[in-house]
Amino acid sequence: MDQHKGVGAKEEEDREEKKTVPEITLRPFTLSDVDDFMTWATDDRVMRFSRRPTCTTKDECLTHMKDLIMPHPWCRAICIDDDGRPVGLVSVMPAPGADVHRASIGFAIAYDYWGHGIATAAVKKAASAVFEEWPFLERLDAIAEVNNTASRRVLEKAGFQREAVLRSYLALRGGKQGHGHV
Amino acid sequence: MRARFLTVKKSTTRSLQSDKLACRIARAKMAEEREITLRRFDLSDLDDYMVWASDDRVTAFCRWDSYTDKEDLRRYMRETVLPHPWFRAICLGGRPIGALSVDLGVGCDRCKGELGYVLATAHWGRGYATAAVKMAVRSVFQEVEGLERVEALVDVDNKGSQRVLEKAGFVREGVLRKSMVSKGRTRDLVMFSFISTDASVDGLID
Repeated sequence: MDQHKGVGAKEEEDREEKKTVPEITLRPFTLSDVDDFMTWATDDRVMRFSRRPTCTTKDECLTHMKDLIMPHPWCRAICIDDDGRPVGLVSVMPAPGADVHRASIGFAIAYDYWGHGIATAAVKKAASAVFEEWPFLERLDAIAEVNNTASRRVLEKAGFQREAVLRSYLALRGGKQGHGHV
Repeated sequence: MRARFLTVKKSTTRSLQSDKLACRIARAKMAEEREITLRRFDLSDLDDYMVWASDDRVTAFCRWDSYTDKEDLRRYMRETVLPHPWFRAICLGGRPIGALSVDLGVGCDRCKGELGYVLATAHWGRGYATAAVKMAVRSVFQEVEGLERVEALVDVDNKGSQRVLEKAGFVREGVLRKSMVSKGRTRDLVMFSFISTDASVDGLID
């Protein structure tokens, strides 16, 4: 992946590495996290490319947490401070049916915390964790909308290999057709 | 002057010949397509279905194993094939020689359908699968509202099927590594797609 970068790109990379990457922890959600959950789940800037609907009220967030987050096979709150309050979410969903060797990762970070390498660190940590917890797992994949350059960069930095652009792959909010990229 | 006249005559002859050849090819292609028809299955097609469903060469790259018991196949036809929203018999002269299906998505996936097909080995190598796929793509885009993408996932080693999709105008998007477990092995799959706005060689899509 790094073979085609020039000298200029390497210097920028060194500068990026020197930026302090926060220490993050991953833990399961509790319903008492709802206020922090709302920070990103109600924010269109964060949810724009998500397949999940943007929540608008606290009740909707609570329902979403009860119905989707709490029973999820692998969903973690991303925490950066000592007080352990979530600034985002990372989840890994096993593939349906017989494909137990495969799972998909997704993530969301509160807008105010973008640009600090939190998502990249969370994805790396989540990937290590699931590969260890699920010994039958061979492939972890992710889909990002082609216009979602921030998420694509997260996946690249976390060591994912770009495989394909899947044209007109998903119908996202507002009936717009997303182009996925695995 | 004479030399120029001769040169003009030569190129006219050449273009006439290539026109005739193009016509012959087009007629042959149309004949191929005329021979191949798609229709819904009926339980009375069981014996014809068994021909390819019991053939290991056909099922080599399928997730399912060859059928050995006709009753199992009858149950599959009754429970899956007949009620399926888009499952077709590939017919030659009206008799089934293969099967083709498009699995349609719901919700966020409603813009896409996944294509699958099998053909009896006796009819391989004649462009029948390509013809059937072209016809299916044309029909399914016309019939299914909101459908924008037909995709197909093909084993990296299944060169024949990759060729079918290329000839049918599908775009090869990439290799999805270890994306399927089939018969105890993880397989790399090649993703192909046909978008409703893609121009096809024969101008199939209006």
